Amino acid sequence: MANILIVDDDQDFVEAVKSVLVSGGHRVVAAYSRETGMDAVKKENPDLMILDVMMEQPDDGFAMAHDLRKAEFKKPILMLSSVGTISGMTFDKDSDMNPVDAFEEKPIKPERLLAKVKELLGA
Amino acid sequence: MQLVEREKLDKRIETLKQCYGNDRSALLPILQDLQAEYGLLTGLIMQETAHALGIHPVEVEGVATFYSFLRTDQKQGKYVIRLCRTISCDLAGKARVARQFENELGIRFGETTKDGLFTLEYTNCLGMCDQGPAVMINDRLFAKVTPQMVPQIIMDCRQDFLKTVFPEITPSDVQKEGPILKNALPFGEGLKKALTLSRSDVIATIREAGLKGRGGAGFPTATKWQLAGTAVSDTKYVVCNADEGEPGTFKDRYLLHAQTDLLLAGMTIAGYAIGAQKGYLYLRGEYLYLRKHLEKSIEKRRQSGLLGKDIQGKKGFSFDVELRLGAGAYICGEETALIESLEGQRGEPRNRPPFPVDTGFMGNPTIVNNVETFIDAAIICAKGPAWFAEYGTEKSKGTKLFSISGDCKKPGIYELPFGITVQELLEEVGGEDAKAVQIGGASGHCIPAPEFKRNIAFEDISSGGSIIVFGKNRDMLQVAKNFMEFFTEESCGQCTPCREGNIKILEGIELLEKGRCSTSYLNELIRLGETMQLASKCGLGQSSPNAFLSIVEHFKNEILGRVPEAV
Ligand SMILES: Cc1cc2nc3c(=O)[nH]c(=O)nc-3n(C[C@H](O)[C@H](O)[C@H](O)COP(=O)(O)O)c2cc1C
Ligand code: SF4
Repeated sequence: MANILIVDDDQDFVEAVKSVLVSGGHRVVAAYSRETGMDAVKKENPDLMILDVMMEQPDDGFAMAHDLRKAEFKKPILMLSSVGTISGMTFDKDSDMNPVDAFEEKPIKPERLLAKVKELLGA
Repeated sequence: MQLVEREKLDKRIETLKQCYGNDRSALLPILQDLQAEYGLLTGLIMQETAHALGIHPVEVEGVATFYSFLRTDQKQGKYVIRLCRTISCDLAGKARVARQFENELGIRFGETTKDGLFTLEYTNCLGMCDQGPAVMINDRLFAKVTPQMVPQIIMDCRQDFLKTVFPEITPSDVQKEGPILKNALPFGEGLKKALTLSRSDVIATIREAGLKGRGGAGFPTATKWQLAGTAVSDTKYVVCNADEGEPGTFKDRYLLHAQTDLLLAGMTIAGYAIGAQKGYLYLRGEYLYLRKHLEKSIEKRRQSGLLGKDIQGKKGFSFDVELRLGAGAYICGEETALIESLEGQRGEPRNRPPFPVDTGFMGNPTIVNNVETFIDAAIICAKGPAWFAEYGTEKSKGTKLFSISGDCKKPGIYELPFGITVQELLEEVGGEDAKAVQIGGASGHCIPAPEFKRNIAFEDISSGGSIIVFGKNRDMLQVAKNFMEFFTEESCGQCTPCREGNIKILEGIELLEKGRCSTSYLNELIRLGETMQLASKCGLGQSSPNAFLSIVEHFKNEILGRVPEAV
């Protein structure tokens, strides 16, 4: 069982992800913006984070990943976003510009989500 | 003879291709140079250019007929006299200067003298709003022109300007400097500091400073850079929007001359941050006289290792800037139209989304920023985000350059913090008696005296920097008319609400002028304006009715029931 923090402004999506992860035996906490997300990281000290990109600003997730690494947050971050579909651009993890451990497009199949989480926690 | 001419032309086009490139994006500069040499883009010129670039001649004609500085019908004179007809020059007495030019040359506007020496044309804003009426003759600028000066100006032309000493660039009136203009940074400093940071730290610095785009819309600069920077692509572009066409704006004209190095540093920093190798500086055709200065500055930076390969010894970071000239189309200031223009197309805005950060120049991630935005970014990198964020308001950090013109004692350029009230600004510029102020140019809002307590900031009245003051005796209907004439001319015509709507509103204004407009028809026009705001494809049509709507709202008593003077 892992302690997972999801930061995403789409409440319905958060609920769906929560139920998938809980069914996989994890504990899940949610925050709905970049700002509350940063507070939640401090409070929850999660084992893994699931991070959206387009929240209040269209690049909030990228900015937050940068801030987290600056703040020495070393746990895995799974970026889960439809920014690629919406913007038409291709995004991926990048050690400097997008310091996350995996980038997945929304929507994601429950099995794939659980497998990704397992893979990242094992790493 | 015809064959020899054609061969000569083909050779010339080949040379121009070597200079500007082999693809379609070279079309506009090639046409501009050919027009300068031949005075007219004939059918043969368009056909040969089309063949050379592998496109259909109709495509070339489509482009040539879109831009007002390109000619396909009547050969232009040796001297093309362009008189600014925008609001500020209008307020400064352009009509009498126009009449005197017609009297002296014996032609009307739009015509060329029989001897082929002079063409008389109107142009939109020349960026000399604080020194109007302004006239541009080829690449020379004349400020504060009076009817009395007209014969002398024509005489100067006849003598090939040999008798007149011209400043390379007519100086701007800077009335108030703030932290940005007083930056005192040594040459190369902004870039040097930025290159000590990682790419993502540069963007984080801009984000922390809270810099928002200075072109008017106020989009967060860091967000734009972050999206383009994170996108996976080998080719990306930085574009500087130096198309400054908004009536009443002339601060970029000043910055392009006085802060050239910081502008180029800002573009280079953006190139580093987003991972671009190439930048374009899109300069409006009306600022042709700045070309030499800009090209010299670009070359100087190349020589100093601040542009080119492995900049400042940073292995793998290469960036260069190319200057491209617009050709007299206000709409090309809209970023997607600007990109179309850079690609050698008619400057017609694209549908959004996708946004330029995604499918920008040649389909690659591209950031487009205003001149002032790049300069601010370079200074922020050198002085730190906290220094910048000290000024302005929570949502509109920093200072802003304003171009002030119209009925005030001290027109010119002012650097003032965001959040200043209209009243405070008027006191600063000596315009306390104003009955209204146009903020944000023709597409901005007309603010009447009872609202002078409002703030100039993105969260209240946003502005790209154009402020036009209207004194007690100004006829607000004439103001609305001047703006609508401008938009009718400048609409690209792609979408119906804007193409037809602007004309309808202008016709309505003419009815009001004659005192022949009922309130029920005026209400129809208001509804039409509101529909345009919602249904137009780009910012031009969405904002062109703004001034008319605010003038109708606040000055109804002044514009209804007019009795025209008997002729
Ligand atoms: C009709 C129209 C004209 C525009 N003209 C200009 C202009 O001359 N200069 C400019 O910087 N932005 C202009 N803009 C705004 C640009 O589309 C774009 O938002 C801006 O260049 C982005 O830069 P910024 O974020 O640094 O402000 C114009 C927009 C419209 C709709
Ligand atoms: S709103 Fe006007 S300028 Fe913009 S695309 Fe439509 S017609 Fe062209």
